[in-house]
Amino acid sequence: MPGLPPRLRAARPAEARRAVTEPWPVRAGLIALALLFIALLLVLPLVLVFQTAFAQGWRTYLAAIREPDAWAAIRLTLLATIISVPLNTIFGVAAAWAIAKFRFRGRQLLLTLIDLPFAVSPVIAGLIFVILFGRRGFLGPWLAEHGIRIIFNTPGIVLATLFVTFPFVARELIPLMEAQGSDEEQSALTLGASGWQTFWRVTLPNIKWALLYGIILCNARAMGEFGAVSVVSGHIRGRTNTMPLHIEVLYNDYQFAAAFAVASLLALLAVVTLVLKSLVEWRAAPASAPSEAAAG
Amino acid sequence: MTIQANQITKRFGAFTALDRVDLEVGDGQLVALLGPSGSGKTTLLRIIAGLEQADEGSVWLDGVDTTRQNPRERRVGFVFQHYALFRHMTVFENVAFGLRVKPRRVRPGRDEIRDRVHELLRLVQLDWLADRLPNQLSGGQRQRVALARALAVEPRVLLLDEPFGALDAKVRKELRRWLRRLHDEIHVTSVFVTHDVEEALEVADEVVVMNEGRIEQKGHPDQVYEHPVNSFVYHFLGSVNLFHTRVRDGQVRVGEQVLAVEGEDEAVVHARPHDIEISRTAEPGWLEGTVLRIHGIGPVVRVEVRREDESLVEVELPRERYADLRFTVGEAVHLSPRQAKVFAEAGRQSN
Repeated sequence: MPGLPPRLRAARPAEARRAVTEPWPVRAGLIALALLFIALLLVLPLVLVFQTAFAQGWRTYLAAIREPDAWAAIRLTLLATIISVPLNTIFGVAAAWAIAKFRFRGRQLLLTLIDLPFAVSPVIAGLIFVILFGRRGFLGPWLAEHGIRIIFNTPGIVLATLFVTFPFVARELIPLMEAQGSDEEQSALTLGASGWQTFWRVTLPNIKWALLYGIILCNARAMGEFGAVSVVSGHIRGRTNTMPLHIEVLYNDYQFAAAFAVASLLALLAVVTLVLKSLVEWRAAPASAPSEAAAG
Repeated sequence: MTIQANQITKRFGAFTALDRVDLEVGDGQLVALLGPSGSGKTTLLRIIAGLEQADEGSVWLDGVDTTRQNPRERRVGFVFQHYALFRHMTVFENVAFGLRVKPRRVRPGRDEIRDRVHELLRLVQLDWLADRLPNQLSGGQRQRVALARALAVEPRVLLLDEPFGALDAKVRKELRRWLRRLHDEIHVTSVFVTHDVEEALEVADEVVVMNEGRIEQKGHPDQVYEHPVNSFVYHFLGSVNLFHTRVRDGQVRVGEQVLAVEGEDEAVVHARPHDIEISRTAEPGWLEGTVLRIHGIGPVVRVEVRREDESLVEVELPRERYADLRFTVGEAVHLSPRQAKVFAEAGRQSN
């Protein structure tokens, strides 16, 4: 190749690699910066939560968690989660199925509506429920007549949690189901499977990892939700405080050790969620690997 | 088992995919639906399977009206272009699926299912891959698994949607010959969709040529190839040279070919590149031109000739014959079609 400038000649592997990567000081600098950022914003706070929680010893920690109001908050959080996660799982699967596998009028609208809880500030979501079900709200008088209390009561908290965690499962499933198409379902039908059999034997196994991932995220949000729940709860200690609200109350009362003790439970949940999430991603990776890999 | 589709019409919005199509498939036949994309061939197949509903018309299987039945009740085997294997199941489980989802009272026992699946996998020569997942197989292997899976439920008819469309040329050829042999063995009434002319002509008992939601021609492959009924079919089945020629006394003349036409001013004569004689020496009545380009394409050599009126004519000759003649670019040559056709509605189609 007489005419080619030296740079364009075929390079040896080491040279070739050098040509497409940055010099090492730049690489090291960027990595250090990223690690510093993570340490400062993610790791340090987590460590501080646990440190403050245990600052006054084990006894105080356990006492803060065993305290009746704290227990009530934990129970309420669990209740809201146990109701909203399964409901949103069923809803999410149904919505994703409809949107990904069928073309119908209003499909785009449904897609937008599913995103609504993400788009709306949680505080506004809470306010909507107050306006709807509150004493002076739209349905308030009728509810009061029948002795039903939703706002400043458990049903309101469950509703707010439901609303806020509404998109997680559906959002996780829609892209996957759209990518998978409906050929497999159609072949199941031609092979004599009923709709129900097709769902359980073909659709569900194909989406199980994404579904699990969606449920984990939904669960994390259901337990951690603050804004919407705060508006509808009324902060009645021992009755309508969830864990995040209880933490706020304790913090405002300068009970730092107790606040961080309860907070450490939520933080622990976050850690467990992340571990589960990585586990799911790790398990799901081979299943969704490019299917052409072995094709010849 | 026979298939009969009567006056099938299907629209997608403003687009008419099928326009009053009639199709009849005899017992044990292997029929190819052949046409360009958008001709409605896949839609027709899916309507026969019940995966799509016709707007008008009816589908009869074995003399029974199945128009209102769902795919499950029709008991048809369907093979998809992209295989549509259940990706989370092994090859064995894929083939066993149709047997496992049967209602309990007709479901075969565990041993029976195992024997049947292995028998089918032997039939498609893939018994040794029973424990693999679909993504560990090659395209050709996947399509054979899909076929075994469709056959497992003993379908009344087998419908294949571009079954070899996603495979490379060599595998395609092998697999379609294999499909023909398999059909000769099991004789299940089959319809397959393809846009590959060679595939349709080689494999099918009967070829149905479709275009713009209508059937243009059906018949034995040789019949369709040798006697296309119109310009579209002629064009679709292979390369074409067109000669716009003046009509005299109800006849047109191109080289030594004289064809009768019904009174028009001008007619378009169709001739295939391999049906054109090319020579250095002038013969009475032959067309004149100069060699523009020469390409060798495997066993044939294609010579492009420019006529005096600037129109181009493609001539294909076997390589040995070309070796004798050895034309050069720019050389003057003389042409005459050995075979040609003229159609009443010529020029209606001219891709």
